[in-house]
Amino acid sequence: MTFFFIIVRGLTRRPVRTGLTLLGISIGIAAVVALVGISRGFEKSWETGLKARGTDIVVSKMGSSLAPKPFSDAVAAVILKLPHVAAISSQFVELLSIESSQMMMLSGRQWDGYAWKNLKLISGRMPLDAKEQAVVLGQTAADALKKKVGDPLQIEAAELTVVGIVDGGAVVENGSAVLALPLLQEIMGEQGRINVIDVRVTPGTSEAELKQLCTEIVRSAPDVTALAAGDHLSNSQSFRMVKAMSWGTSLLAVLVGVLGVMNTMLMTVFERKQEISVLLALGWKPSRIVRMVLWESALLGFLGGVAGVIIGVAGIKMLQKTEAIRGLLEPDLGIGLLLSSIVIAVVVGVLSGLYPAWRSSRITPALALQG
Amino acid sequence: MKNSNTCVYEAVALKKEYEGGHVQALRGVDFRIDEGEFVSIVGSSGCGKTTLLQMLGALDKPSTGSLLYRGQSLLEMNDPSAYRAREIGFIFQSFHLLPTFTALENIQIPMLESDLPASERRGRALTLLRSVGLEHRAQHCPSKLSGGERQRVAIARSLANGPSVLLADEPTGNLDSENARIILDLLVRLHEEQKMTLVLVTHDMIIARKAGRNLRMLDGRIVFDGAPTP
Repeated sequence: MTFFFIIVRGLTRRPVRTGLTLLGISIGIAAVVALVGISRGFEKSWETGLKARGTDIVVSKMGSSLAPKPFSDAVAAVILKLPHVAAISSQFVELLSIESSQMMMLSGRQWDGYAWKNLKLISGRMPLDAKEQAVVLGQTAADALKKKVGDPLQIEAAELTVVGIVDGGAVVENGSAVLALPLLQEIMGEQGRINVIDVRVTPGTSEAELKQLCTEIVRSAPDVTALAAGDHLSNSQSFRMVKAMSWGTSLLAVLVGVLGVMNTMLMTVFERKQEISVLLALGWKPSRIVRMVLWESALLGFLGGVAGVIIGVAGIKMLQKTEAIRGLLEPDLGIGLLLSSIVIAVVVGVLSGLYPAWRSSRITPALALQG
Repeated sequence: MKNSNTCVYEAVALKKEYEGGHVQALRGVDFRIDEGEFVSIVGSSGCGKTTLLQMLGALDKPSTGSLLYRGQSLLEMNDPSAYRAREIGFIFQSFHLLPTFTALENIQIPMLESDLPASERRGRALTLLRSVGLEHRAQHCPSKLSGGERQRVAIARSLANGPSVLLADEPTGNLDSENARIILDLLVRLHEEQKMTLVLVTHDMIIARKAGRNLRMLDGRIVFDGAPTP
């Protein structure tokens, strides 16, 4: 028999209580895995989308809303003249409710811009010109809207025809409806306005030159921000808010787990007061009692963490299969996130056990001879 | 090395007060217990005998006076846990076995403070269980054992780390007369065969007469110290 055996037996003596505590921690950890995994996945897929389009710098005017704020399309001409700029692609991006979809990304792209080039046709064709009342759908968007080539698509007051289904090479692209920029500007009543400019730099541009270019863009058009593609989303106020909310919600759930463990361990210490005093009378050092309580709570945290990771991953997988969001979620459930979730759970366990452990250290061995 | 002339405990003017002196559990107690003695501390309920046992086991500290164990002050002992783990074995009236552990596991619990490897701990626990005649009950939890069997397991546990002193608090208090006799015979056998110093607290004069010496207490004082009277 080992010390660890005693710790395990300490937890199994009250299986229902231990089980409920584990459930509490695991829900908290499952929330961490799911919410943080989704937000990380979104960030990653956004980056993949930019990479698929070959964009090096994103120029936008990010506010607190999910979509960037519109600005004059004259900015595009200014940027095009700057050194190291190889090509630009102006866009108007909006998140809208389209027919049966609660929220879909609508991307109006400069007709001759490079952002069309990464779209690979799966079926149908591309719009013939910027004036055609046509739209192409990413394959996920087409699935979500249950549309095929030739079907009509109602966007606000306009009725367009789905002329093609495309693969954009990233979840964000595949979940979008893409149409010509002038067409979307007209639908949205934002003629002459855009809200994103994708910039491609000339080959051989160094990182320092890229940064310098960003500075020059902002100097030339003080109304906008220019960020390297990788930094764009993480600097977005709204995305930072979403990310903070994911962590905030998760940590709140973890806090409930903390209270659960603390409650369980305190009850354990109170219930086992005489048992602890007997162990002290038998020669156990107070430090061993403290270690026993801390190890029990750490083990609770570890088991809750593992269960939470399993629940979180299974929950995400189930969510991905649901009709409403099929194909829109690409969570990043990397080993790093899963391991750090378990580490969080263990730390939570140990922290929750500190007060009960301190209480256990105050128990006097003299109690052993009473009763 | 156990020597019959070696002083194990020496108490001088030992006092224990509670509640700021309003309750005086021990009112100046002097005694000496030598190696290999069987001493019973007797007296009615509340006379201070359990308090005295607490002092001997370093479970509590006296308010004033001195208490030496083999010449070393128990008050100034750096590590009373080590003293409890290695020097003494405790036997309780209510057995105090851990309910979720088997008899064999209960005996190994004090050994976790020793340096013995797990296999040796188990082997030693089995030997001790055999010595109290309960080898066949090794895998039983306390709830499956009779009162007498539980106390025998508790005695085996008290011997886990090879102590030289056994401190027993009413060890037969919760047992019927037949089991009480078995436990007492076992304690006497341990005392005689292993030359252990045995300090036994009891209010039962029949049990007290088995000891070589009685310390009779009344109101926190020793009122008789000598061979048991018939």
